[in-house]
Amino acid sequence: MEITFGEYFEYTHHAAAVPARLVAGCEAARHPVVIAGGGPTGLAVALGLANFGVRSVVLEADATVCSGSRAGAFTRRTLEILERFGVIDEVMRTGLRWSTGRTYFGAEEVFAFHMPDDEDQKYPPAISHLQNYIEHCMVQEAERRKDLIDIRWQSRVAGVAQEDGGVRIDVETPAGHYALRGDWLVACDGGRSQVREALGLRMQGRRHEGRYVIIDIRIDTEGLPPGRRCWFDPPSKPGTTLLMYKKPGNMLRFDYQLADGDDEREAMEPERVFAQVNEHLKMLGIDRPWEPVWMSLYRASALTLDSYLHGRVLFAGDAAHLVPIFGVRGMNSAIDDAHNLAWKLALTVQGKAGPGLLESYSTERVYAARENHRFANKSAEFMAPPSAPFKLMRDAVLSLSKAHPWVTSLMNPRQHSAIPLRSSPLHARLASGGAFEAGPAPGDILPECPVQRDGRADFLTGVLGPHFTALHFSETGALPAAVADAIARLAQRVPLKGIAIARSAAAAGARDGVLVDAAGKAFRLYGAQPGTLYLVRPDGHVLARWLQADAPQLEAVLEAVLTPQAEECHV
Amino acid sequence: MSDEELDETYTALCHTLTEAGERHTPLILARLALLLMKQVADAKTVREAIASAADLPPTLNPEATTP
Repeated sequence: MEITFGEYFEYTHHAAAVPARLVAGCEAARHPVVIAGGGPTGLAVALGLANFGVRSVVLEADATVCSGSRAGAFTRRTLEILERFGVIDEVMRTGLRWSTGRTYFGAEEVFAFHMPDDEDQKYPPAISHLQNYIEHCMVQEAERRKDLIDIRWQSRVAGVAQEDGGVRIDVETPAGHYALRGDWLVACDGGRSQVREALGLRMQGRRHEGRYVIIDIRIDTEGLPPGRRCWFDPPSKPGTTLLMYKKPGNMLRFDYQLADGDDEREAMEPERVFAQVNEHLKMLGIDRPWEPVWMSLYRASALTLDSYLHGRVLFAGDAAHLVPIFGVRGMNSAIDDAHNLAWKLALTVQGKAGPGLLESYSTERVYAARENHRFANKSAEFMAPPSAPFKLMRDAVLSLSKAHPWVTSLMNPRQHSAIPLRSSPLHARLASGGAFEAGPAPGDILPECPVQRDGRADFLTGVLGPHFTALHFSETGALPAAVADAIARLAQRVPLKGIAIARSAAAAGARDGVLVDAAGKAFRLYGAQPGTLYLVRPDGHVLARWLQADAPQLEAVLEAVLTPQAEECHV
Repeated sequence: MSDEELDETYTALCHTLTEAGERHTPLILARLALLLMKQVADAKTVREAIASAADLPPTLNPEATTP
């Protein structure tokens, strides 16, 4: 049940087309990668592949970006990844930063959660934004890279067949039908994935209690605080839960729970929804005219496929897993999927890695989906208790929270953050070098840290890109000959950059590209000493680290990643 | 007890109560209170906790929060 009243902003409408060169109804050229779905996941995979120089075709069923609202909150990890995809400037320019969420019991504020933030961070813990505007930014970036990304609008996947070490896809468009072939198909076609259906696959998991009406309205939001605001048992709708978010472009998002006895059809009648919105605005003392943009009915599910790799077909985003919206792990985890997949698929397509590398995509991201479910399920159970005792306990927590703040840790909505890939088959077999007292372990992402680079203020994660990164800590910024030689040898086979980070500003200043850590902050944060080496994956997860760099081990580790044995990738 | 342990213990209690059913929930919570009282062992601490538990905030409206 979904009603669209208007556009969030002026959409570009794209025409349908059929490729010029067809042989017996099939496109003559075979593509390295075909992506089903031009939403945020599919566009992210295409942009990620393009960073490695890999071409893709994106098949999108609609003529525009998503016309309804979907995700609304984007976390720091997602912003770091959007930087890699080349869209961060416009996203940050137009998004609303926030770091504090507020919880109310009745009309009274009982708890404010502050997401980790400090002056050393490049990005805020979260921003509020419109999913379809981020899609719009991604489409524009993809169009700038049209030598590598071919978006085909109004093109619906009608059939999928795995044949000849690849995939044949039937496509329907208003301009005609055709087939195309690809070496790989990435299914990013959402919760109702046609590809998943065509392969006869089913997601497993659970459905949650609690039905929610979601509505976006346009209203003057001047002076309203950004961030998540959550009411339990609000006077405007007693006995239920209500969420409100301020969004860019003078918009507000409401998610409110239906009471047990509410009929879904009646509850979704626009007049009734509008009256509920008015009731809540009145409670907040907001007396301003507004108009509806979109509304929908939602019930939380925590579902995933058991594997995201089926022959030559890969799954990502909602096509692979559904996560309850509480905790903002939907699109955020989809972007994580795309970032994890892009480098592995690129190296596979380019013949630089063995087939086991893609198995690790599935293993790592199925694990991440289950972790996301674990956190999001707790939030969903708190929002809509699945039984009377759950509700009794929740009300006990809410009523104690004002006088006994320790209890509020049970109310934290556990917002999305990067899932550490500690048990990944890619890291499990690797020897770690030395006892670190601090810093990211293999599987963690890099903690942010300000540094100087070529005389300018920069951030440590700024050195990441479509390549492995060997980050070497020293006093002067000179790489030891054995390490430099190993990097040079390896760089002939895979994209790999050696980056030096130096404590002595004077010595390092003479060398281009050296990160200067004059205050020793990065050294402390990474538990490093002169000679320490971190090897980082293209998606920013630490692959291995040595307190004292060891060139033969560096080579061995990268070798093990490029040619993992497939059977060891099953956990 | 870490935040995560508190979280898991809380959820385990919710599941235990759910399995036992709403009818038995008050008795189970009363028995739990007695068992924890014995564990705490300090009468003053327990009396303070009783007072805190009984100090219901005015916002708590039992009519509205019962489905």
